[in-house]
Amino acid sequence: MWLRLRNQNKQQAYQYDKVAQEGIYGTIERDLHANIEKVRNITGNSADIVIRHFLLGKEDNLLSALCFVSGMVDENMVQQLFIEASVQLSFPSMCCDQLDYIEKKIATANTTRRVKQWNDVFSLLMSGESILFIHGMQEAISIAVKGGEYRAITEPSTQLSIRGPREGFTESLATNVAMVRRRIQHPHVWVEAITVGEVTHTNVRIMYIKGIADDSIVEEVRNRLQRICMDGVLESGYIEQLIEDETFTTFPTIYHTERPDSVAANLLEGRVAIFVEGTPFVLIAPAVFIQFFQAVEDYYARFDIATALRFLRILVFFISLVAPSLYIAATTFHQEMIPTSLVIAIAAQRESVPFPAFVEAVIMEVTFEILREAGVRLPRTVGQAVSIVGALVIGQAAVEAGFVSSVMVIVVSITAIASFATPSFAIAVSARLIRFLLMVLAALFGFYGILIGLIWMTIHLCSLRSFGVPYMTPLAPLIPTNLRDTFVRFPLWALTDRPHGIAEETNIVRQGDEQRPKPNQEMRREGDEN
Amino acid sequence: MKIKRYPFLIFTLFICTLLFGCWSKKELRDLALIIAVGIDKKDGKYISTFQVVNPGNVAGATQRGGGSTGLPVALYTSTGDTLVEASRKASKQISRIPYYAHTNLVVVGEELAKEGIQQIFDVVERNPQFRPTANIVIARRQTAKQLLSVLTPVDKIPANQMIKTLELTEMMWGENVGTRLREVIESFSLAGKEVIMSSFHVDGNRKHSDDQENVRTMEPTARLRASELAIFKRGKLVGWIGKEEARGVLWILDKIKQTAVTVDWKGEKEALSYKVVRAKTKVTAQLRNGKPIIFVTVETEGDIGETFVAIDFTDPKQIVALEKVMQQEIKAEIEKAVHVAQKKKSDIFGFGEVVHRTYPKEWKKMKKTWDDKYFPKLDIQVKVESFIRRTGLRTRSYIQ
Repeated sequence: MWLRLRNQNKQQAYQYDKVAQEGIYGTIERDLHANIEKVRNITGNSADIVIRHFLLGKEDNLLSALCFVSGMVDENMVQQLFIEASVQLSFPSMCCDQLDYIEKKIATANTTRRVKQWNDVFSLLMSGESILFIHGMQEAISIAVKGGEYRAITEPSTQLSIRGPREGFTESLATNVAMVRRRIQHPHVWVEAITVGEVTHTNVRIMYIKGIADDSIVEEVRNRLQRICMDGVLESGYIEQLIEDETFTTFPTIYHTERPDSVAANLLEGRVAIFVEGTPFVLIAPAVFIQFFQAVEDYYARFDIATALRFLRILVFFISLVAPSLYIAATTFHQEMIPTSLVIAIAAQRESVPFPAFVEAVIMEVTFEILREAGVRLPRTVGQAVSIVGALVIGQAAVEAGFVSSVMVIVVSITAIASFATPSFAIAVSARLIRFLLMVLAALFGFYGILIGLIWMTIHLCSLRSFGVPYMTPLAPLIPTNLRDTFVRFPLWALTDRPHGIAEETNIVRQGDEQRPKPNQEMRREGDEN
Repeated sequence: MKIKRYPFLIFTLFICTLLFGCWSKKELRDLALIIAVGIDKKDGKYISTFQVVNPGNVAGATQRGGGSTGLPVALYTSTGDTLVEASRKASKQISRIPYYAHTNLVVVGEELAKEGIQQIFDVVERNPQFRPTANIVIARRQTAKQLLSVLTPVDKIPANQMIKTLELTEMMWGENVGTRLREVIESFSLAGKEVIMSSFHVDGNRKHSDDQENVRTMEPTARLRASELAIFKRGKLVGWIGKEEARGVLWILDKIKQTAVTVDWKGEKEALSYKVVRAKTKVTAQLRNGKPIIFVTVETEGDIGETFVAIDFTDPKQIVALEKVMQQEIKAEIEKAVHVAQKKKSDIFGFGEVVHRTYPKEWKKMKKTWDDKYFPKLDIQVKVESFIRRTGLRTRSYIQ
């Protein structure tokens, strides 16, 4: 059925770009008015396209026009540019190439470029540069005065940390890239530019550290990005879905983060970062399963604490996965496994509940999902009301009405808290989906069903790959060296190697010998004497 | 074509994993949690008594608070030629499926115990729900039903009250011992070891024992009390052993955890209590002239708990003398216990087992006649090592 659906779509080939390009081919003409007319035509005389005619130079001898998209340029710089172009610029008579002279004289902007082709003109214009048309010239000058308003750098809202940098990515591509480069000041941090989206022309940057990242992975990322051919890419989620290895899985095979320090750390481990214009979420590939349980803070905290927290997170993932299904299985199949006094307590509460345990659990879980979804989308001011209603409905009232048992409320609450405690939202969401499957299996087959479900999940996880790297690395295939930074985080001085299987193998050691701190022996002796 | 079938095959394999699975799904609301089973026999028919928990009325488990007016347990009685028959017949009265996985107590009436209990445990072993770790007690001078129809004040579920009492008294005093179903079943197939079980009886007036009235008064008119140990021989109750003799049995079985031994001191009767906090018993066997001799070595460690006479505990000689007195007291208890068991010709101490382990070849000859020929005349050497670790917070009592 799926194939048939796809085949129907195939009847018409994707051709937007061809159609769109048709009107734009050709080069700039000598006549300024014709050029301006062309710009007006192509853009449909859009209101936000500003076309300003003025006389260039002190001597007022050149009729010219500056085009730009309002809001996408730095107004101050444009102002500066006008003053410079119309007041300060003068032409010495001996100059032969006036255009060349003008281009070199304009000092306001960092970059200027001469353009001849109409499609270059439009792509530059739309990306926020100003185009200077001069009457009588067959070329125009594109001046980079990109600007406009962006959200300021704020604390990342999805990945908070107690210790660690407070800045998070913004919607500005240039700012985001710079934030990472500020953290790794090395010329081998390479940034490649790709434009994706036939209509949106979204700027995308691939960032990696040459010599640390595996070239074949970089090549793979580049190829997959270049393959994308569609109208628009509005968020990194589009790209994630278009380049990931496996669509039919609930598990994320590409990591995304809002934190520049996280990107920097991943680059240093040989991964590749993909920045997308207009979103604070940066993709990191390849990603492995265990990565979603690691937080950047693990490396800022001391190793014992970090290790304890990692164990806690994995435990928490399992709780959010199986807690309701364990409840269902234990109360409907395996009453003998619950201690006698507890089974009596549960039975007492279930006495007044009219539904089977499975129905009860599904009702509560769905109610909770509704509440969560409502809470996420609602404006903050209404959110409080929702949480009060939720607490009353899901907690007290439901129990008092004899609708659900209070044990169930406890189970749902634990599940909810556990799923919030999972550091990566992407993996928490997949646990949410699998939870319902496990609940069905538990209701049908008891503990055996849960176990089978988990085995299916494990098989599936082992079959996944992320840019050629097995998803369960370093557990399957087992890479003992990587285990130093998997469940347990060894002290930093013991993490001698970059992750095998991800970073470039020929250059795998990342620190010098004997990084373990030791007190100075002489100082110690002095201390003893005292 | 082959490629297309491949996913289907995998799908089928996945589904196959679900062909197994847990079955007989049952909601908690449809279960009758049987917490205790009582078994009696009358006119050749078994009478099963089921103590079923009524979860809504168990204090603390009620959801909406309020007064729990009903009783925490309900009692159902059913008769049948076999126990399974009786259990199935009970469905005429109970609206829920009998569920035995939480049956922690089995009560056997004294009459049935005398007749023999060997037959009743087959069903227990066969039924997957039944726990071999359930406690078994004998109803002393009563039927199992009478014992199970007593309401108790503190632990609301009478079965729990009995189990916990048994555990506590075993640990604190040591005249009773909890016996598990598994041990009883094992003893049937094991030569050279007979089983003992604790018994309970109802104290006081039994008239309103199953009435709420019973728990409304500060001192319930009918009370459950642990009583003597039942001595079994080949599955039949042959006698009772109580008080100090019972503790003697536990000394030999190495079941004493804590107890208190009261001894005489310098002419003063029952003048001093010795709190045992740690005890260890070793039983070994030796063959002399073809006759087995059993050595029982008991090591105890404890504190002085109470004294009615003036003793100077700072004097080591006094302490050593005290320890001697205690050793004699404990030794006397043990010897009394052995005497009783030998009279009943029931090797409840498992001496036969010890001989079996030490002399497997010789045991084969003794095995058949052990109970009648060897055990009653067995030479048993008891040695007790008592040690006073502490004398409590005082060294010199105000009693002078």
